[in-house]
Order: sequence, then C-alpha cells, then structure tokens
Amino acid sequence: MEEGRAERRRRTEALSHPQGGTRRAGVMTDVHRRFLQLLMTHGVLEEWDVRRLQKHCYRVHDRTGAVEELEDFINNINSVLESLYIEIKKGATEDDGRPVYALVNLATTSVSKMASDFAENELDLFRKALELIIDSDTGFASSTNILNLVDQLKGKKMRKKEAEQVLQKFVQNKWLIEKEGEFTLHSRAILEMEQYIRETYPDAVKICNICHSLLIQGQSCETCGIRMHLPCVAKYFQPSLEPRCPHCNDYWPHEIPEVFDPEKEREAGPSKVSKRSLRSRQH
Amino acid sequence: MPRGQKSKLRAREKRRQAREEPGHLVAAQATVPEEEESPSSLSPHFKDAPQSSPATGTPSKPQVTGRVHSTSTTAAAASNTSFNEGANNQVEEKPNASQARNTTEHWHRGPLDKKVAMLVYYLLYKYQMKEPITKADMLRNVIQIYKNHFHEILRKASEHLELVFGLDVKEVDPNRNTYVLVNKLESSYDGRVNDNGGVPKTGLLMTVLGVIFTKGNCATEEQVWEVLNMMGLYDGMKNFIYGEPRKLITKDWVKEEYLEYRQVANSDPPCYEFLWGPRAHAETSKMKVLEFVAKIHDTVPSAFPAWYEEALRDEKERAQARVVAKACTAAMASARSRAMASSFSTPK
Repeated sequence: MEEGRAERRRRTEALSHPQGGTRRAGVMTDVHRRFLQLLMTHGVLEEWDVRRLQKHCYRVHDRTGAVEELEDFINNINSVLESLYIEIKKGATEDDGRPVYALVNLATTSVSKMASDFAENELDLFRKALELIIDSDTGFASSTNILNLVDQLKGKKMRKKEAEQVLQKFVQNKWLIEKEGEFTLHSRAILEMEQYIRETYPDAVKICNICHSLLIQGQSCETCGIRMHLPCVAKYFQPSLEPRCPHCNDYWPHEIPEVFDPEKEREAGPSKVSKRSLRSRQH
Repeated sequence: MPRGQKSKLRAREKRRQAREEPGHLVAAQATVPEEEESPSSLSPHFKDAPQSSPATGTPSKPQVTGRVHSTSTTAAAASNTSFNEGANNQVEEKPNASQARNTTEHWHRGPLDKKVAMLVYYLLYKYQMKEPITKADMLRNVIQIYKNHFHEILRKASEHLELVFGLDVKEVDPNRNTYVLVNKLESSYDGRVNDNGGVPKTGLLMTVLGVIFTKGNCATEEQVWEVLNMMGLYDGMKNFIYGEPRKLITKDWVKEEYLEYRQVANSDPPCYEFLWGPRAHAETSKMKVLEFVAKIHDTVPSAFPAWYEEALRDEKERAQARVVAKACTAAMASARSRAMASSFSTPK
C-alpha cells in the first residue's frame, strides 16, 4: 500500500477528526509514529526521557520543525489513538513523584497486557503477589510470603527457586519494584492496571485522599486512617508550617517529603540513588 | 463511586432521546435482533439518528475526553462497560443500519471495531516479540467467531498500524499465510526498533544473506561459518554483541523467518545449508544485498556481472509485482471510499 506522506497524513486526520466536534484533530507524522514505536518498546518512561525521546524523533524525521510542547504533542497522539482504545497515560512514581508516561491499553480489564509475555503460572504468581501487595498495610509484600503461595498456582508446577527468578523477571520488565526483599508495584503496573485493580479488589483497594487515584504506597493518618501518596503529601503540605490531616485535622505525624523538582534532580545526579533509599515507606 | 450500569443506560437514553426522532428508534429496534453478539450486558444497541454528514461528536464525548486526560477513574465503570461504551459510542454514530445490512460489507460496527483494536494489539505484540504472524494464529486468538470478516478486520487493523504506528503489514508467505510487520519509517538507521542493547544485528544478517546470494542462493553451513569466522565469530563462542552465533543463525533468525536452515537432501552424515527466509525476501532484495556486498569489497554492484544480472532481474520482477499490487489496492481503495462515503465508518 504505497501512498505519499501527504495522503497518509490526510487520511490520519480523517480517521481522528470528529467532524464538527470541538476537539482538534490529531495529525500523525513520522515524528509521532516513531515516538509511539519507541515509547511502546520501553513500556514506561520518565518525563525527562520522554522529552529526550521526543527531541530525538524530531531530529530523525523533521530536523527543521519546531518541537511541539510535550503536552500538546501527547494530546495529539492520544486523539488519534482513541479509536484504538489506547492512550499515552501520565502518572507519577509513588515514592518520589517523578512523572512517568506509559502506553496503556484501555480496553483490557485484566492483567492481559502481561498475558502475552508470561506463562499461565507466571501470571498467577503475579496475581498472587498483587493481592498480597494490595492487602498489605505498607504496599509491600515480602518475598517469603509470595513464595509460600507457589503451591497454589494455576498451570504448570513451579518451584520456589523458579518463582524467585520469575519475580526478578517482573522487576526487569518493570511490573514490580524490589526493595530490601520486598515487592511493590512499579508505576507502569499502576498505570496499566489501576482500573483492573479497582474493579477486582474494590474492598481492599486503597485510594489517595488528595488525588483519588489508586494508592499502593503512601502515608496514613494514625487517627482517622485516610491515606495519601507521598508526592501528594509533599504538594499538599508544601506551604504549611504545621501539617494537619485534611480529614480529621489531627497533627500529621510523618516526615513531609519534598516536592519533586526536575531541575534539582539533574544537578543532584549520583546522589539521587541514596535519597530514594532514605525515603522508605512511612506508615 | 462509579455509576451503576442502570444509571448510565438511563443517562445515555436521555441524551439520545434529546436528539432522536421516534421513527429511527423504531427502525433501530428492528435491527437489534440481527446482532450476532451483544457485547456483555449492554444489549440494547439502539442505532442512533442517521447523519447526513459524517459522524458528529456525540454528547458522550466529554466522557471520553475526560478519560483521555486524567489518570483518575472516569473510565472506571463497572466491569467491561468502559470498553463497550466506547464501542457503543461508535455504534451510535452509524447512519441507518438497515442500509448497510443489505450490502456485502455487513458491519456489526461495535463488535467488529473491538476486534480491529484487539488485532492491532496482537500484531503490535508480535512485532515487539519479533515473531511472524500466521492467519491461523490471528483467527484463533483474536478473530474467532468473526472469521468471515477476517480480511476486513485485517485490512482495518493494517490501516491503523500504518497510519498510527508507521508499521506495514506484509504477507511474507502466501502459502502458509504468514505476515510480518515492517517498520515503514524513513530513518537514518536500519528500520528495526530498539533491540535490547540497541546495536542492530542487521549488518551481520546482511552479510549472511550476501553469502547465500553469492553462492547461488543456497550456501552450505561450512561456507557461512567461513565468513563468520573471518568476522571473529566462532561456533560455540558467545559474542558480546551477537550472543552465541550458532543459536543466532540456526534458531533466532530462522524463527524470525530471515533464514531457512535445512538438511542437505540425502546427506549422510547430515549436513546443512542456508537459504533466504520469506521475511528476508520481504524486507530486502537481491540488489540491496549486492550493494552491501559491493560496499564491503569497496566496489560497485556492477563489478560482479553475473550477480548484478540476477539482481536486476529480481528488481524488475518486484517492480512488476508492485504495479499489480498498486492497481489492486487502488481498486480496493476506491471501493472502500465509496462505501465510507455512504456509511461513514471511521470512528469519531
């Protein structure tokens, strides 16, 4: 199917243009296509990398063009992706509020995004780990507890040694994060599966009092029990001298983290790693 | 808390009634029993008022936009409804359903659109896994009950893949109905999207294809290893960039259909030979490979008259095939655009 670029672009506009709707049509050029391809391969990317990726795509396909503002760039692409029930979703890491982006499949209501990469028993292991994480108070599930469930897995029998490796595979593929022998959900998993998690575990699921999104790690009020993401805590309490619970007004007992500042991040460089390990889960 | 299905249906009904004339509701209701499948519990698929112009933005748009821009759960309706709402929105845009019913292009728009989206994901996944796709796989894993609409669904999915992702669906083996996704994007480096490691193995592959071509389109295993050894790759010795060479050329590239590795007929003790795989034929050409070979030898393709002749013949055949294909797609495209004009079938 050989068409000129202009024709291809026109047809893309036709596909996405709402014909009298108030939303602007997305225009897909090779810049956008390459961006999509690369984002898809990475699974999830931090905002800084996303910006670099965007510039890279311009450099490859449209040297002279002005680099569109990232938000508009992504909205453009999303308006075209809509008919496929996919979107580029923006979220934030739960521990320090770094903005992240992932290409998310809106149509699925299960762990099916992973389904293609993993065997049945591996998927079940993930589901078991997911349940433990959601049920836990800290948002972390210990390796031991997960491995103890190995006998209950569907599909082919899995030994504990194998299960350890599968857990590492999940970490490598950015579905889980490991910290000191315990596992929690990677921001990618949260972006991809928030809907599924909220539907499947409506009673156990925790929600942030500030942003009302799914909460895995965070701080909680010791009096009334409401929870907040660490970056939400940072933003909410940023101006105040005496942090108080937004719900029950009791004194907020935890250390208030800093708001994520991309500029400071880049200067800090190598010390970034130590900062992250210091800010452990606080409940 | 997410709205229950009933209140959603009621709201949707209200919006629809605000626009609709009673006559169309009646016509629409007549079509309901025709549905092959009503996705989940949203059964009343009332077709909306026909549009003289292509799909207007439906009032349910704001819902959709909301979904797009926030990570919170405007989309978190109960169970499958979020997906089917989307499908429903598109069903609502369709003009008089009874018209379409009589044509051979019999869309059940909602469910088929869903299949198109699913096929897109499936093909994308296969692309990332670098696995070729067979028609049988697609039918079994995605198309399922809509197998009569296979070509339509595949065509629509291919359009999406091309326009949105810049990936081309190519049939590499019409006998075995195998397809592959090729990266269309013009770029300074060779097509392949980020391998894990970032170093494209294409140079090595081109070398092997070159050996095969220059040995009369079939090279013995010995001949291939001779060349690899010259490049510092040895059987059984893991290489930092390429991994274990034997696995690469006899398994990985065979699996990806770039090479064919077969036993020489009646050979005892068994020995093996390499040929181009169907994907190599699809993604490159004899001329391109000859250009590569010539570059290595610091010369031009015409310096090898016999191979040059063969490559030229191959180019001619490909050009002829493209002309035929173009004529076919042009015919298909005009038929398609005629169909599209009458029943505007692209979503939103």
